[in-house]
Parts: sequence; C-alpha cells; structure tokens
Amino acid sequence: MSDITIAGRTFAVDEEGFLQRPEVWDDEVARLFATTEGVTEMTPEHWAVVRIIREHYLEHGNAPMVRLLCQRTGLNLRTIFKLFPSGPAKGACRVAGLPKPEGCV
Amino acid sequence: MADRPPGTAAVQRALEVLRDRLDARTTAFLNSCVRCGLCADTCHVYLADGEAESMPAHKVERIARFFRRHHTLLGRLAPGFVGAQTLDQEGLNALAVAAFGRCTLCGRCALNCSVGLDPSTIIRFARTVLGAAGMVPNGIRANVDLALATGNNMGISREDVLETVTWLEQDLQDTLGDPAAAMPVDRRGARVLYAVNPREVKFFPLSLSAAAMIFHVAGEDWTLTSSDFDITNYGYFAADAGAARAIAGRLVARAEELGVEELVVAECGHGYRTLRWEAPEWLGRPFPFRVRSFVEVMADYLAGGRLRLDPGKNPERVTLHDPCNLVRNGGVIEEQRVLLRAAAKDFVEMTPNREDNYCCGGGGGILAASEHTARRIEAGRIKADQIRATGAKVVASPCHNCIDQLMELNRAYKLGVEVRTLAEIVADALVLPAKPAP
Repeated sequence: MSDITIAGRTFAVDEEGFLQRPEVWDDEVARLFATTEGVTEMTPEHWAVVRIIREHYLEHGNAPMVRLLCQRTGLNLRTIFKLFPSGPAKGACRVAGLPKPEGCV
Repeated sequence: MADRPPGTAAVQRALEVLRDRLDARTTAFLNSCVRCGLCADTCHVYLADGEAESMPAHKVERIARFFRRHHTLLGRLAPGFVGAQTLDQEGLNALAVAAFGRCTLCGRCALNCSVGLDPSTIIRFARTVLGAAGMVPNGIRANVDLALATGNNMGISREDVLETVTWLEQDLQDTLGDPAAAMPVDRRGARVLYAVNPREVKFFPLSLSAAAMIFHVAGEDWTLTSSDFDITNYGYFAADAGAARAIAGRLVARAEELGVEELVVAECGHGYRTLRWEAPEWLGRPFPFRVRSFVEVMADYLAGGRLRLDPGKNPERVTLHDPCNLVRNGGVIEEQRVLLRAAAKDFVEMTPNREDNYCCGGGGGILAASEHTARRIEAGRIKADQIRATGAKVVASPCHNCIDQLMELNRAYKLGVEVRTLAEIVADALVLPAKPAP
C-alpha cells in the first residue's frame, strides 16, 4: 500500500499502482491515471476500452477477456496494445480503476 | 494456552517441515555452504542493490542457521559458536524476504559455487518451510488456489476459451485468406497437444494466433484443449509439492485422455521446466507422450523445410532474453537463436547470454508477489542495462512471465523497445505458400 499523487490529487494504490478504493474512480481519475501510462490524450477509443473494462468489473468482479474488448469496441488487438502501451491487463485496468488482475500478469 | 506468544503454531508447523521434509540432497547442501561469497557476483539482485542480504550465501544462511540449531549436535550444544539460531517468528519474517523477495530461483549462482551447490534448491526448501507457516505471498497463493479451483490461474471458463479460439480462428482465416486454416480444440488423436499460458487466452492472444499460423503452415496435426490447458505452475513457485503435483497432473491427464504423441508447451520458462523435467518426478512415472517446448518444435519445422522465413520482414534490430527456466535450467539453448537468425535481419546477442544470462528479475513467482514490486524493478536494472547496450528495438523472449517483467522494465527504465514472443516474430517472417488457384 502506498500513495500516488498525480496533478495535486492523492490516491491510495497498491505496490503496482492499482487503485485501492474502486469507488473513488471517475472520469477525472481515469484521465489522471492515463498520464502515468504514457497515454497523452484519452481519445474516444481509449474511453471505449476503459468503459467496457469498468462495466465488466462492476458486474463480474474481474477484468474482461480481451476478445470482449475487441468485439465490443470494434478495435483490433494491435490497436488496443497501441492505445495502452502497458497492455490491456495492466495499463488499461489501472486506468479503469481495477485492482490487479489475477494470474500471470 | 493464553500465554502462548503469537505465531507459535505457525513456528511449530515450520519446525515440523524443517524436520520431516529434509531429503538427503537438501541436507547435504545445507551442511556444505562454506560462505566463500563467490556467488555474490553472479546474482542480479545483489548486483543491482549491493546489499549484503542479497548475496546468495546470505540467503542460504537464513535457513541454514535454523537447520544447524535444530538438527546438528554442535548447533544444539553451542549455537553461538556455529552461528545457529532458534527458528522463531522474527527469523521466519527475515527468511520470507530472502526467499521470496531477494531470490527469483534463477539458478545463476550455481554456476559459480565453489563447492558445487545449487542454492536455488535450498531457497525452494526455505519456501516450503515458509509455506507451512502460512507465509507464501498472498498473490502467489491466490494463483495456486485459483488454478486448483478452476483449472487455470486466471479462472478462465471453458466457454471463454472456446469463444476466444473461435474469434482468433476467424481472424486467422481472414489473414491467410484460407477458410481451411483451423484452430482445433479438444480433438482426440491429434499428434500434438498445444498447451498455453492463460494470459495468452485472456489478455495477450497474439502469440496464440502466431502459433496457430505456424502450425497451419507447417501442416501439423494439432489441437488445443478447452480444459486443463494451463502450463503455468504456481505450486512450484510456492514450493508446495502437493499443489505442484496436482496442477501438473491435470494437464498430463488431459494429454493422455486426448491420446497425443506430443505435449508442446507454449513459450513459458517454468512451464517447460516443470512439465519437461519436474512433473515425471512428481507424478512418479514416465509419460506416454513426449514433452517439448514450442521453440524446439518451430526450430524443427525450419530445419525440415516446413517453414520458410524471410528475415527482411523483421528489419529492426532484435535481441534475445534467455528465460532461466528454459535455458540454464531447461536446456533449450540454440533453437531460439537459429529461429531469430532466420526470422530477423539484425539479430544481436546481449552479454552475457545463453546459460550465463541474467534473470530478468521477474522469476520465481515474484511478479505475483506485489509486496516485492520495488525490489523486482530494482533487480531488473541489470537486464535493462543489458538490453540498452544492444541498441535493439525489439526484445524477444520465449517466456510470457519474462515478457511481463520486460514490459515493466521497458516502462520503468524508458527502454523504448517492443517486447515479443518468438512465435510472433517467426509468424511475421513466414513466407506463405501461394494460394491455390480458385
């Protein structure tokens, strides 16, 4: 557990920078976390990915399969990796305010 | 008893394991380290942080001093004289940092040991002792539990596997313009079962698509499995023999059920090591099928003329990170080099390499142990420096676990590289056979 301060706002995160309290997440938080992921501007494509991850998490308690991300956004896999350079497991989930996904990530 | 200090039950269980699980090899190793310190310079953790506690001999000593106190005559009679220490909660806490935070089980220290020990064997024993006291990091334990409960370490359902494969298969057919390109699942009697790391199915399927394309072009008779497909084994990292046996045993049973001649392990260092070298010991029997890494299989296809590669399709400079469990501890050393020389125009080695290579810093399950994140990133500095010195734009590594760590090093050390599996690079270089005339 530690704190991270982005643009004057402080958040409790785990050791790998995942938000500790999912309920504090909003669009502004996503924008702030995006700056730590090498995402300079949250485009509509970024938002589409983040919203689907967020909705899936709220409904199922975990991150969606990348297949779902591609099929629901209409983006191909390589585009998703370009949008979030740290990948869908870490980069996109951090921006969407999820805890660290389980497994080999 | 009310006056029992906290942690006593855990200490008791640890003491029982220290007494009951000592085999001849571990006992000999624990008795033999002469603390010469030659191992220090081999360890990426020590080279990165310079702390005495990160020297392999120091980490070994953390458990050896309990062994001497409880299992040697001099240690019982004159503990101070031989540096013996009673096992207590404080000692276990220090051991946990040494065994899970300062060691990735990469085995590089064994290369330099003046008395021929493999310190990583001792650290694994230390992890077993810690496990008895309930002190395996939560993230590693959670992956073991999820794998035992669901059949894979990400809890991916059978339906999710099938839907993902259908989706990838469609994409493969579109890419190749060949409706016959298939990704068979659960096909009995196939020659090859291709088993994967769950993160390929859930988050990183480019390697899975690449493997499918390579199997298709090589004309292989292969299948995936929708259940018990997981090649990872966090039971091994937790040094929990029962869990490790159960996890490996399921995939072995699945391969037997499908009646394949060969189990091909996707790019995963410890997955290969455990299935190829450890699992027959754990299960106490040889398997009716051969176990090979996909790296070996691809190299075979290339040598047999079943794949044609054009290095011009990968024009950027590529370097190779050797996963410890595939290379130093697994024996697959030259195949990945043969492949990269054929698939990339400008392949350069990092230094040192092959069985002398440094760990990426992400081995031994430490990627799942969030409490050691800062140490892990720091220990990765040695690898980051190696990569930077090559001037490469692409880092290839035949291990998904290494790839995860290398991606983090890329971010932390601003390396500006792309990190890829071998299969992805080989698939990009494929010279596809001319399409049959319509």
